Amino acid sequence: MVSLTVDLHRLSKFVNVALPVLTVLFLFGGKFLSFYLNFFTVTFLFLSIVNYFYLRVQTEHSLLRNFGIVAQGRYLIESIGPELRQYLFASDTEERPFNRVERAEIYRKAKNIDSASFFGSLKEFDSTEIKIRHSMYPTDREALLPYSLTYGEERGIGNTYTITKPIIISAMSYGSLGRQAVRCLARGAKMAGIPMNTGEGGYPKYHLMEGCDLIFQMGTAKFGVRDEEGFLDEEKLRDLAGKDEVKMIEIKLSQGAKPGKGGLLPKEKLTPEIAGLRGVPLGKDVISPPHHKECKDKSTTVSFIRRVQEVSELPVGIKFCVGSFEEVEELVGEMARQNIFPDYMSVDGAEGGTGAAPKAFMDRVGVPLFPALARVNRILCEAGVRGRLKLMAAGKLINPGRQMLAFALGAQAVYTARGFMLSLGCIQALQCGQNTCPIGITTHDPTLQRGLDIPTKAKRVENYVHNLEHDLHELLAASGRRSFNELTMKNLFIPEDSTLAPLLDQQSLASTYN
Amino acid sequence: MMKTKASWILRIFAAVIFTQTLYFKFTGHPDSVEIFSALNMEPGGRILIGILELVSAILLLVPGTVAYGAILAWGIMSGAIIGHCTEIGFEGDLLSLFLLGVGVWVCATVLLVMHRHQLPLLRHTYEKPDSSA
Ligand SMILES: Cc1cc2nc3c(=O)[nH]c(=O)nc-3n(C[C@H](O)[C@H](O)[C@H](O)COP(=O)(O)O)c2cc1C
Ligand code: SF4
Repeated sequence: MVSLTVDLHRLSKFVNVALPVLTVLFLFGGKFLSFYLNFFTVTFLFLSIVNYFYLRVQTEHSLLRNFGIVAQGRYLIESIGPELRQYLFASDTEERPFNRVERAEIYRKAKNIDSASFFGSLKEFDSTEIKIRHSMYPTDREALLPYSLTYGEERGIGNTYTITKPIIISAMSYGSLGRQAVRCLARGAKMAGIPMNTGEGGYPKYHLMEGCDLIFQMGTAKFGVRDEEGFLDEEKLRDLAGKDEVKMIEIKLSQGAKPGKGGLLPKEKLTPEIAGLRGVPLGKDVISPPHHKECKDKSTTVSFIRRVQEVSELPVGIKFCVGSFEEVEELVGEMARQNIFPDYMSVDGAEGGTGAAPKAFMDRVGVPLFPALARVNRILCEAGVRGRLKLMAAGKLINPGRQMLAFALGAQAVYTARGFMLSLGCIQALQCGQNTCPIGITTHDPTLQRGLDIPTKAKRVENYVHNLEHDLHELLAASGRRSFNELTMKNLFIPEDSTLAPLLDQQSLASTYN
Repeated sequence: MMKTKASWILRIFAAVIFTQTLYFKFTGHPDSVEIFSALNMEPGGRILIGILELVSAILLLVPGTVAYGAILAWGIMSGAIIGHCTEIGFEGDLLSLFLLGVGVWVCATVLLVMHRHQLPLLRHTYEKPDSSA
């Protein structure tokens, strides 16, 4: 894959020069050898102009902006892709992590094109999948309650933060993303009226440029708010929290793609600027520790949450991927004992994405989102503290269908990272860690970043949010409920062999087949 | 509506000019022969270009193939302009012929932009919703 794209890059550079040169050569040929050669002059002139248009004029297509007419080949092949795939390669629903059908839905939403499908679902219907139950008596659209969620209200703090759309851009650091992508997302967030998580990339210089609401993430290395030993520097945190745009702080305990391991930024992507913003040396992979230095066990973790709440005076959440439910139970117990709760918990599923992580961790560590979320919700309810905090979720929640499942399992807002990358035009080339992303999202190479036109892509982000919201409302209405809060597991059809089935109580399990 | 009208005007303009000049080409009008002799393309090139002009005029008038006709017309006229600049020159009648050629070239360019969605290569990039980037 890598060499293929590097070749594409070289090839396109070659073609960009070759086309005009050939035009001129044939022009001379036409003058001095035979006028017939001007047939070629005209052809190459035409191709040169089209190429120029792709590279410099249009802003819609990142690939064409970066690679010009050579990339047209990709569209050509893609247009006959269904035929090729049908006979030769993987099917539309086979690719991972997101298959073509799933990606196409996001592209459509981002481009504001009707995403109706025709004839029937491409999924297999053998009743092993969880489905949303609709009601015979759908809610009228006017009867739906407006969405609003206020973080920090439980503690009665002054700086509460209210969101009015249930979708948030999940943590992606400047470092894993290039500056252009960060700004596209930040401007899109601003236009759509949703907050954006900064990721663990330190001081959010580029996020701040666009003026959207921010959730500052404190990774295990605490880039941006660390002292020399990697402990919290309260002064720096206070400064950051004092910025108007920074509305909440998120303490990252772990992340689904690499739970039990710290963040990783490959040295290929470490620029002097990023090293500066993070305060790390150049030329080496940036590896964050697996846990916060302050958090050695449940009681120090809970105290650390309190400390961050006090210093920042903002709502403070924690993000983690579940490894063991006992640990979660104990942590919640400890919170109750100290009477200290984070303002939200975000459960990251093991299927979560990342800029870079060891393969074994991506593939084999952590509990997948749905069982994790359902159990955490259950644990909080059983401890009688569900009302003390908000619950959020992330893990492939890129489409309204999966998002509805998360709401029914207890989430009050959803995070997605890769959904937003796809809305920017990510083609899932899977080179995020190599600084060669052909779309210009996860790279610091300016010649690739120019593929992302900020106004165009910000609009895509806004469209994506609006269309998600629209579909969610329709699904909610179909389920016969008036708000996401009213959704429970009973709104889901959960087959008996699902990992969620044991969580249904006897009564609702019986109702599965009623 | 405006756009459709403008498109029709441009297409008819280009097609009329083509049919006129190709008439001279097929009948072997001395001016035409002279021009193609200057290009060293007599008589094959004259007939070939005549045929291409005919095809282009037809494609331009059929609603579904305007873009193809426009590409062809653009190519022929680019060739004509090159011919004027390198071999034929602009003296006397040749100047008005040249300007007519430029006129058709401009029409073809505008039509091509207006109707680019018809091209299979471009349709995917411009229209098909599930194209990715
Ligand atoms: C490019 C990229 C960078 C990420 N960077 C971070 C990060 O800095 N901190 C973090 O907690 N999670 C990070 N994540 C994980 C996401 O925030 C999110 O939890 C995960 O991808 C699940 O959401 P998704 O399936 O919708 O992508 C990153 C994910 C991606 C794809
Ligand atoms: S296009 Fe490829 S490299 Fe770029 S963000 Fe998407 S998956 Fe990563």
